[in-house]
Amino acid sequence: MLTSFLKAFTNLFKKPQTIDYPVTPIEKDKDYRGLIEYGEEECIYCLKCEKACPPGAILFVPVENPPENEKNKKGLKYHYNPHLCIYCQECVRACPKPDEALWQSNKKPPIGIKDDRVNEAWFELEKLKRD
Amino acid sequence: MNKKTINIPIGSQHISLLEPVRFKFECENEKIIGVDSDVGFVHRGIEKACTQKFKFDAVGYVVARVCGLCAITHSLSYTASIEKLLEAEISQKAKYLRIMLLELDRIHSHMLCLSHTCENAGFEAMFMRIMGDREDIMEIQELLTGNRVQFDYISIGGVNRDLSLEMSKKISQKLELVKQKVFGYIDEFTNNWSLSLKFKGIGALSLDEAFRFNAIGPLARASGMNVDVRNEIDYLPFNEVGYKIQTHSDGDINARNVVRLNEILNSIEMCENILEGLPEGEIFTKVKGKPNGEAIVRFEAPRGELMYYVKGNGKAMLERVRIKTPTFASIPAFSHIFVGENYADAPAILASFDPCLSCTAK
Repeated sequence: MLTSFLKAFTNLFKKPQTIDYPVTPIEKDKDYRGLIEYGEEECIYCLKCEKACPPGAILFVPVENPPENEKNKKGLKYHYNPHLCIYCQECVRACPKPDEALWQSNKKPPIGIKDDRVNEAWFELEKLKRD
Repeated sequence: MNKKTINIPIGSQHISLLEPVRFKFECENEKIIGVDSDVGFVHRGIEKACTQKFKFDAVGYVVARVCGLCAITHSLSYTASIEKLLEAEISQKAKYLRIMLLELDRIHSHMLCLSHTCENAGFEAMFMRIMGDREDIMEIQELLTGNRVQFDYISIGGVNRDLSLEMSKKISQKLELVKQKVFGYIDEFTNNWSLSLKFKGIGALSLDEAFRFNAIGPLARASGMNVDVRNEIDYLPFNEVGYKIQTHSDGDINARNVVRLNEILNSIEMCENILEGLPEGEIFTKVKGKPNGEAIVRFEAPRGELMYYVKGNGKAMLERVRIKTPTFASIPAFSHIFVGENYADAPAILASFDPCLSCTAK
């Protein structure tokens, strides 16, 4: 009983356990699961990552000016939605060339704001894919 | 004059509740004489999504989002049932790492429950202390899995990330720290009047009643019932890592707290044993094929038995995924315990059950 009083009293003079977040940055672990990054030149367009992704955050959509790559016969372009991604690494495990074509960084996702048309732009891509 | 009763609800929103559940109490003066409960406030249609929207290899990540506290238990149960259907062999190392994550899950879930019990006893300082110390466990999990809450650690065929030597050193240091703190809690929970005296004899469930109402998990073990799924299953080698069943005979709130504290200590011991004797080998073996047939898998979640029923028909989409959660199975026992208690004790009793409504209503 007394020790708990003592502990509660000494706690008054301790630093708070929380971090003063915007002022003090949070220490990020180097192995933190963050955004997926893509190397366009190394990609062989096998679309395995697109099939493996559980939430469907990777889409290869046909475009008019596709990136120049001899493996890209169908004229596809890689699109990635950081707001949909769950950072599970399934795509990296499915990739035949991990660390060169597709890898996981420890970066945080960007903040999704209305002006970026985060949802609408992605829905348009999904529609293109379906067609 | 006739006896008059009044109906007082607790929930669906209440200051002492973490999640929406409603209990309607029929009260005679201060005494509760009848209970009516409703748990369906947070329906999210996850079972339907598992069979309509996601392929079977992605469902493990969907069911992990059923509950934030026992995410590992959910994804592990689903993965184990798919592995049963595909007759996959999992490496010994992956099995041990799975047990470790499962036990870490139990530790931080029990710590949350204990802190919440303290808060309902009016002991805010203890609440803050336990929640602060719980961060150590969260940091261990972040170190191991790469994320604080959504672990996404278990996949069909093994686990996703390996444990390095540097990590295991850091983890054992932190576990030692937490262990010392838990000894401190045991002292507080048994000797501090605001916790032990307030809770002794309140919300008691006898052994007979525990049998009759099918109580599971810490609720049953606090009444002296030797029921723990970890004893009964053989997919994971719990007995090899030093698992011991923790029971108590009183069945009141204090007994539940003591059972939870002892379970935390046992889980820490299991994690330490795993860190010491982790075998070499692969963490992931590739599994091929599509699930065909039915499988039932049970696991001990922090709150009791969690059951998964999975039915596949040889296609990528599953035919049925049924999740039976521990809180749902315990509701008859919950309702019975309230009868005969004071209305003022209801929030404290409810917190001692550690109900998880996002699991229950999914």
